[in-house]
Amino acid sequence: MSELGIGLSYGAATLLVMFSGMPIAFALGTVAVTFMYFFMPASSLDTVAQNVYEEMASITLLSIPLFIMKGAAIGKSRAGQDLYSAIHAWLHKVPGGLGIANVFACALFAAMAGSSPATCSAIGSAGIPEMRRRGYSPGFAAGIIAAGGTLGILLPPSIVMILFAVAAEQSLGRLFLAGIGPGLLLVGLFAAYAVARARKEYKQALAVYEAGGVKSAYLDVEHFTLAKKVEMLPRVLPFLVLLLGVMVALYGGFATPSETAGLGGLMALGLVAVVYGLWRPKDVAPLLSSTLKESTMLMLIIGMSLLYSYVMSHLHISQGAAQWIVGMQLSKWVLLSVILLMVIVLGFFLPPVSIILMTAPIILPPLKAAGFDLIWFGVVMTIVMEMGLIHPPVGLNIFVIKNVAPDIPLKDVIWGVMPFVGLMFVAVFLLCVFPEIATGLPNLVMGAK
Amino acid sequence: MSHGFELEGAAKSGDLVPRNAALALFSAALEGLNRLVLRVSMVALLVTAGVLTYSVVTRYFLKSSTDWQDEASVFMLVGATFMTAAYVQSLRGHVGIEALAGLLPEGVNRVRLVLVDLVSALFCSFYSWKSWALFHEAWTEGQTTSSSFAPPLWIPYLLMAAGMSLLAVQLFLQFFVRLSGGEVQKAQA
Repeated sequence: MSELGIGLSYGAATLLVMFSGMPIAFALGTVAVTFMYFFMPASSLDTVAQNVYEEMASITLLSIPLFIMKGAAIGKSRAGQDLYSAIHAWLHKVPGGLGIANVFACALFAAMAGSSPATCSAIGSAGIPEMRRRGYSPGFAAGIIAAGGTLGILLPPSIVMILFAVAAEQSLGRLFLAGIGPGLLLVGLFAAYAVARARKEYKQALAVYEAGGVKSAYLDVEHFTLAKKVEMLPRVLPFLVLLLGVMVALYGGFATPSETAGLGGLMALGLVAVVYGLWRPKDVAPLLSSTLKESTMLMLIIGMSLLYSYVMSHLHISQGAAQWIVGMQLSKWVLLSVILLMVIVLGFFLPPVSIILMTAPIILPPLKAAGFDLIWFGVVMTIVMEMGLIHPPVGLNIFVIKNVAPDIPLKDVIWGVMPFVGLMFVAVFLLCVFPEIATGLPNLVMGAK
Repeated sequence: MSHGFELEGAAKSGDLVPRNAALALFSAALEGLNRLVLRVSMVALLVTAGVLTYSVVTRYFLKSSTDWQDEASVFMLVGATFMTAAYVQSLRGHVGIEALAGLLPEGVNRVRLVLVDLVSALFCSFYSWKSWALFHEAWTEGQTTSSSFAPPLWIPYLLMAAGMSLLAVQLFLQFFVRLSGGEVQKAQA
């Protein structure tokens, strides 16, 4: 069979097995092993386990379970609600401040926990009822939280970025730093939209009231005394210390990314033990078991995705596909658009980890040949995959919101997140025009590449 | 990426038991083993975080370097990953694309689910066979890693082989449970 025929069969077999509903890890492994049997030397089957082990036995990859442990510790405590309450108390006088407080709380929590759904759940469970109590429309309230939660895979430490760094053989420290500028850009865009939308809804509520209608909660004035505001700080400060501690350990040259993961994980467990009294084995065991549940599922997908990519490379499928893309001689931006469109479509069905590891061997060589900075592309690709978290058909965050606020109709949640998907497109566009938003900080801190 | 986040109200497989009595007994035994392995893996996770923190502390405060912590961490985390794979599968925690499930007629969907479990079990059996072969080779040849610490490679290979074997057994159990009429609520068993 020709290389093209093998490549097409490989793709078709993958689609068939994936859509059968088989767990992604086993599906990728089954396709890889089947093609090894038919198209590779018989001896290659003897190295299946060794291939997976050698790819997985990377201390960088294995920092993932520890970062997940850090996120689980923060995510399962009351830290999210406390963080939200404190920011809300300090920002309530700013017009649209409640929306901004939710966006800021999501960003800070996402950076501490590194998890989109955990952020949606933790901030949303406090923020959505409060926004609705204050008159915000349900879809708008849900949209802010769903979109704010996506910042979890952009701001460091991001597991998606760890995988991209491994797949693209790029510096993880540089990639983490490159996520900060675009992360702040998205925070700014989300906050600006929140203010504009809140003002619009405020004006509508005022008009209704002045016309003799009901008085919306939007029009009520809220007060927090200084004593109350100060009282909220001690519970939040330790977590900001954790956030800063991790950054200093990583960029101050004190620890490698994996050591930072271990240190951050222990610090997070220590903080929830001290601040929230979660120190008994019965408190800690659920954190650790949910960490293992999540990380084992992810690590097996990663291991089998790497085996899948190895077979794809050995059979020259990835090289052939990459050459075919280069041979089409698309203009730089058309090439980028086509690749990002493919990432969006894959995001309908696959988690970001699989998308990165399965597509990297095919899409990165043409992008490199076209002159794109792969660190910059890693950030853009991450934002595009973030969109997959809030748009149907998968949209994990949408379902988390439905879980936190079950009475908000799914239609309202979906329409509520759509403006934020638009803002993400705006961020991608701005990153294309001003790549320094991503590359500026790593170049400043670590020197130009 | 959910980072330990679980949707409330998701079905807990622990509340269900196989309809078939023999399979229910075997399932209970396997669940006990999985829980034991889970506890050991939790400790391994904590120890790994401790080892990596220790290496930072010794390097910067005691000015002495450690050369074993990365490999010890890799061994523990690879071990924890493979050994808990069966526990995760017992909760059906290995995610797949279920987009077609709702579109298929009920009978076809039932066949699909049985086939998915069977093919998954066969793949994991093949993988565990190759892992045991790898372990045997590393054991008989005394293979070590290439670092100065040079720990024996049979340790992670053994954990990988044992974990994948446990996973294959779990998958075969789930396959036979589906074939023999599925599961019922614990109270009804």
